[in-house]
Amino acid sequence: MLPLHHLSAIQIRDAFLKGDISAVQIVHHFLSRIESYDDALGAFLSVLNARVLLKAEALDKKRARGLPLGKLAAIPIAIKDNMHIQDEITTCGSKFLAHYRAPFSATAVDLMEKEDALLIGKTNLDEFAMGSSNENSAFKPAQNPWNLQCVPGGSSGGSAAAVGARLCSIATGSDTGGSIRQPASFCGIVGYKPTYGRVSRSGLVAFGSSLDQIGPLTTTVADAALTMEVIGKQCDYDATSLDLPAECYPLPKELEPGTVIGVPWHFLENLSASSRQNFEEVIRVLKDLGAKIVEVNLDLLKHSIAVYYIIATAEASTNLARFDGIRYGVRPPECKTLEEVYDYSRRMGFGREVKKRIMLGTYVLSAGFQDAFYKKAQKVRTLIINAFDEAFSHCDAVIMPVTTSGAFEHGAIHDPLEMYLQDIFTVPANLAGLPGISVPSGYDSRGMPLGLQILGPQMCDVSIMQIAHAYERATQHAKIPEAYG
Amino acid sequence: MGDLPYDQWEPVIGLEIHVQLNTQTKIFSTAPNRFGDDPNMNISNACTGQPGALPVLNKEVVKKAVQLGLAIDANISKVTTFDRKSYFYPDSPRNFQITQFENPLLIGGEVRANGKSFQIDRAHIEDDAGMLKHFTNFAGVDYNRAGAPLIEIVSKPCIHSAQDAAAYAAALRAIFLYLNISDGNMEEGSIRMDANISVRPKGETSLRPRIEIKNMNSFSFMQMAIDAEVKRQIKLYLNHPHRDPLELIPPGTYRWDAESKQPVLMRHKESSDDYRYFPEPDLPPVILTDAYIDELRNTLPELPHDRYNRYLSDLDLTPYSAEVLVNEKTLADYFEEALKTCHSPRTLCNWITIEFAGRLKDTGKTLATLGIPPKHVAKLVEMIESHKITGRIAKSVADDMLKSPGYDPEKIVTANPDYQPLDNLAEIELMVDQVIAENPQSIQDYKEGRDKAFAFLVGSVMKLTRGKASPHIVNQLLKKKIE
Repeated sequence: MLPLHHLSAIQIRDAFLKGDISAVQIVHHFLSRIESYDDALGAFLSVLNARVLLKAEALDKKRARGLPLGKLAAIPIAIKDNMHIQDEITTCGSKFLAHYRAPFSATAVDLMEKEDALLIGKTNLDEFAMGSSNENSAFKPAQNPWNLQCVPGGSSGGSAAAVGARLCSIATGSDTGGSIRQPASFCGIVGYKPTYGRVSRSGLVAFGSSLDQIGPLTTTVADAALTMEVIGKQCDYDATSLDLPAECYPLPKELEPGTVIGVPWHFLENLSASSRQNFEEVIRVLKDLGAKIVEVNLDLLKHSIAVYYIIATAEASTNLARFDGIRYGVRPPECKTLEEVYDYSRRMGFGREVKKRIMLGTYVLSAGFQDAFYKKAQKVRTLIINAFDEAFSHCDAVIMPVTTSGAFEHGAIHDPLEMYLQDIFTVPANLAGLPGISVPSGYDSRGMPLGLQILGPQMCDVSIMQIAHAYERATQHAKIPEAYG
Repeated sequence: MGDLPYDQWEPVIGLEIHVQLNTQTKIFSTAPNRFGDDPNMNISNACTGQPGALPVLNKEVVKKAVQLGLAIDANISKVTTFDRKSYFYPDSPRNFQITQFENPLLIGGEVRANGKSFQIDRAHIEDDAGMLKHFTNFAGVDYNRAGAPLIEIVSKPCIHSAQDAAAYAAALRAIFLYLNISDGNMEEGSIRMDANISVRPKGETSLRPRIEIKNMNSFSFMQMAIDAEVKRQIKLYLNHPHRDPLELIPPGTYRWDAESKQPVLMRHKESSDDYRYFPEPDLPPVILTDAYIDELRNTLPELPHDRYNRYLSDLDLTPYSAEVLVNEKTLADYFEEALKTCHSPRTLCNWITIEFAGRLKDTGKTLATLGIPPKHVAKLVEMIESHKITGRIAKSVADDMLKSPGYDPEKIVTANPDYQPLDNLAEIELMVDQVIAENPQSIQDYKEGRDKAFAFLVGSVMKLTRGKASPHIVNQLLKKKIE
């Protein structure tokens, strides 16, 4: 048998089910990898050694007794640290919540635990999921396993780095403007953002409520599909949860005959040479697989970043208002008055980027400015949704790169606007609530991974997963970075 | 116009009434919606604003609000949405309230009270805040009330006296009780009222600057507060006829101080009051079907105004007593029950709303809570009406009924010799003769057509019988003797 970390999640589960290996062995293998690599990588904010070992022992007993085992049995899974595991700390990458113990589990976490997943740790992120590089974590930056000088992407940077370095098989992420797909692309793995409402947001600390969606980061499309079968369920604790039965994700080897794929060429005209080359290669592969490629007009998406940074910050400014030092979190002892409790708690608890976004969001909602910013952004958001509807009337899926380039070096981007523009290809899916997947599509001249993004109409989670699967099977770009082999 | 007297001025009042609904659970969580428990017992992750906890709408709240809409003839929005209203305060667990700003559930409608019709502007559903508690060296927050469901009913500025304001509010409270959407408990704050008050010379059509008195939970205090504020404003205008109204009455928020009986300024309203309303992304729009609304329309109970009309037309009650009865649902229900064995609605109403109510005033008890069966009150009234006892004896019997609730008034009368009516004609005649002999002047007056004199004579005879003779018989005997 290959070393465990060379196996996919499904292969690990199957080996466990067959009795080739015990859950305790699996846990020890991955805990020791975390021990060896994570000091340099910074992917984890906490490792749940005791908890996961107990669960592994229980699983081994369950298997010994011949009891039925769950779909995620013995798969080591890391949870982004903005999702609750009951009784564990949820920091959100923020000093404000450094000691906040979650009073309940996120629905997605709960569903995975019920399917016998091994929750191995909580992963690093940009504070409150606000960032594209993981450099906004209040605790430490996470690094890219392909090159420690580079960022792993964000905000689910810790999850992407952990899976990229094979410190666990699956990690969860949350995607508000690309926070699953972009880091997955930067770290050479698969990242999946479901249709808005497919996965319950209950227990996910909210950033932009109308945009946030939980999804998996995995090494294969099949592992992403498996995770979605478990967590893609209607939930009574989230009113925006889709009232639909859970889906199955059968993954045929071939692309479905007659598949039409749209490319918004005009919107992509400013791609760098290497990204364009990579993207053209993607199109050649898809054509070889039998897809018909058509051009679609999504020029309106050039306004996505402006619209996104208005809506996301507006929602965030109110979502983060609860962090006031009254009920939980930071409250500096020198506070004497109520005003000081608010002032000092937020001043000391929040980092720079979070403060900036709260101020921006407060501004765009203020009387006298709301019409010019928030309300106008909502109108453009509707136009973007309409533009996608129109595009999908001509094709089954739209493809574009995940990012404008491979992972950049730490500290390379100082201009905040340039940093925000990193998300230009990923935010449209969030604005329109679409399912989107990032699949490895090769490497740039520096050897850093690149990703292909496939977007589908709302609810068509299964079909884009199938396209991704056919592409993955044809290309096999995913590999383990040498240092972690 | 500054020298116009008070009665040349017209108050203009708009009320915002918050009613707490009596649902089992809170509006956006499954925590119990219950008053009176130890602090922070009835809380969930959602009502304390834990990160990651999301609001989920309690459908019972929508149902009760739609019922209210049907009762006040409001337009019921088929598609209604929620908004976030941002402000920081420790009793607000998320530091925003979830309310309805753009698309309220109810639009328009009317409430009838005091013989008038009052127009509703809008009504919407929202969540309540917790309560701050101050101790000697710290303050705490009790979140038991956080997330309690409220309907806020906003009237048009169509109320022109403090008395009408109280009548309107009482009529709304009656509707809440008849629909069983709230316990209507004033002491516990189930109904809280904010009054927006301005005044203007009669005939002026535009509105002058207004102030708001917030958070009143008693109709009589509200009436007092409005009266005091109206007087204050008129006086200011009268004393400073040439000053800018906005300078005289700067918009502000006041509270009513029950001790000093004056409105007390809490804060000046600033133009910077900005709640930054925007659509609540965690809650999808509520969509109501015609079938749903019709079902609720068809199952509405009898409403206070219908009952009021029935009491006037079928039972011949006076408008005043009908309103008193109707506004207190438990009282009206008690009346209806008693009416099943009583044939004199007017007398029954008087005994319930005046005699017994007067005796029970300030005790916090009612006939029903004391356990006096409605049929006993009915029997008492029947005994009066059939002249088995006099009104005077009846009052003593009523006292006894309150002392030993559940004891049959008929038995109370039989058991007490003092309550036996004086029906020996010869005995009464003697007393009549005595009164005639002692009051020649009154007899003279009566013969000259002064009815008052006769009433005096009857009263004098009744006094001698110690109220035990039937006034009816005394009347007849007196007339026969004098003529």
